[in-house]
Amino acid sequence: MNTLLEIHNLHASIGGKEILKGVDLTIHEGEVHAIMGPNGAGKSTLSAVLTGHPAYEVTEGTVLLHGENLLAMEPEVRARAGVFLSFQYPVEIPGVSMTNFMRTAVNEKRAYEGKEPLSAREFLALMREKKKLLELPDKLNNRSVNEGFSGGEKKKNEIFQMAMLTPCLAILDETDSGLDIDALRIVAEGVNRLKSPQNASIVITHYQRLLDYIVPDYVHVLADGRIVKTGDKTLALELEEKGYEMLTANS
Amino acid sequence: MAELILHSGERFEQVFFNEPELNLHIVQEAGSEVKMHVINFASGTNNIVVEQRGEGCKTDIYALAYLHGDEAVQTETHVLHAIGGGTSNQLIKFVLDDRAKGRFIGDLKIAQDAQQVEAHQTNRNLLLSETAEMRTQPQLEIYADDVKATHGASTGQLDESTLFYMRQRGLSEQKARQLLVGAFMREVIDSIGEAGTESALKSQLLDTIDGVVE
Repeated sequence: MNTLLEIHNLHASIGGKEILKGVDLTIHEGEVHAIMGPNGAGKSTLSAVLTGHPAYEVTEGTVLLHGENLLAMEPEVRARAGVFLSFQYPVEIPGVSMTNFMRTAVNEKRAYEGKEPLSAREFLALMREKKKLLELPDKLNNRSVNEGFSGGEKKKNEIFQMAMLTPCLAILDETDSGLDIDALRIVAEGVNRLKSPQNASIVITHYQRLLDYIVPDYVHVLADGRIVKTGDKTLALELEEKGYEMLTANS
Repeated sequence: MAELILHSGERFEQVFFNEPELNLHIVQEAGSEVKMHVINFASGTNNIVVEQRGEGCKTDIYALAYLHGDEAVQTETHVLHAIGGGTSNQLIKFVLDDRAKGRFIGDLKIAQDAQQVEAHQTNRNLLLSETAEMRTQPQLEIYADDVKATHGASTGQLDESTLFYMRQRGLSEQKARQLLVGAFMREVIDSIGEAGTESALKSQLLDTIDGVVE
């Protein structure tokens, strides 16, 4: 299996406060990695650093995507290279329609790959096809990005954008938070159908519930800025049962 | 200053585009309506006076300035509700880049006998550079007690978390900014009517904004 992402000794801080204190993680194509951990462990910081959020400073370590230095790329270049973040709190963009936004995004990625832009007709056909996957209504096309969407619609819309952009690395940051069981099922099915032998996902979650639907190959526990334990899916069940205190008890 | 009297039930609707110096004084009689758009993509001064002197008048004032370099626009509105039962809505927006300067003076007056008036004044400004400058001076004088009046003014920059969200989808920072600026301006342009000469100018302005958006 080809290596997709290699994180070595990653340290990162925000406002001078160190949050990640030496993260090591290797992800191969076709794998699903769950990252669990208590609040404040650095889960969302990891996703922010991997996607290049300007508020965070990487102070040490390396991250390679397909062997290339990910940390040297601008956020938009990382996105075009196939790193996608499903945001924990998707942003509303009044006045910018979903269609206009997604068409720009898809064509930016195609340009990066040396492909011709999609015509309006081709693009709308693609939107229709991907929308079915998430059971999203057609009317969302003309609405402003996420404006007035319910919590569930916003999360579905994130996965819809993921379907449009076909990333090689999808990071799902607390995608299950605020979802009822039906929305959770739809979102998880969408993620599962997008799975391929060439792509991989990082599923960040506080609870085991999502992992009933998106089954991970590996479960990592992030605590105080480091991965302190790695196991298979049974680790998530164990954590659910015993709580994160078991980690401190063990160590 | 030219004074225009709108007689009972008459309607005035106009878009003023890139007027270097606009001076307008409108007196509204009962049931008349005013809807105007004042758009500046270059320097100019606007002085707009509207007096509601009859019952049940309606006044809508939209203004948008989009300025670069050393351009400057001053927009002054004086809306007087002398008689009750009328409504007025003002949406004033400035988008300032480089060293551009914007100034809005919004004078809203509701006379003592002008009951049941509904008056709203909103001023939103977007600064695209550190050196752009905006001054806002709202002046509200409300002497009647049974009225609904709101006013709000805000000046800010493009939202960083929105920009990051858009870049995370592969849009360059510049493209993301252009889309957001276009969206900010569109609110004013979209409110232009579709009738007659208005619609031609509206589509011209939308093209200009799309030009901004690319």
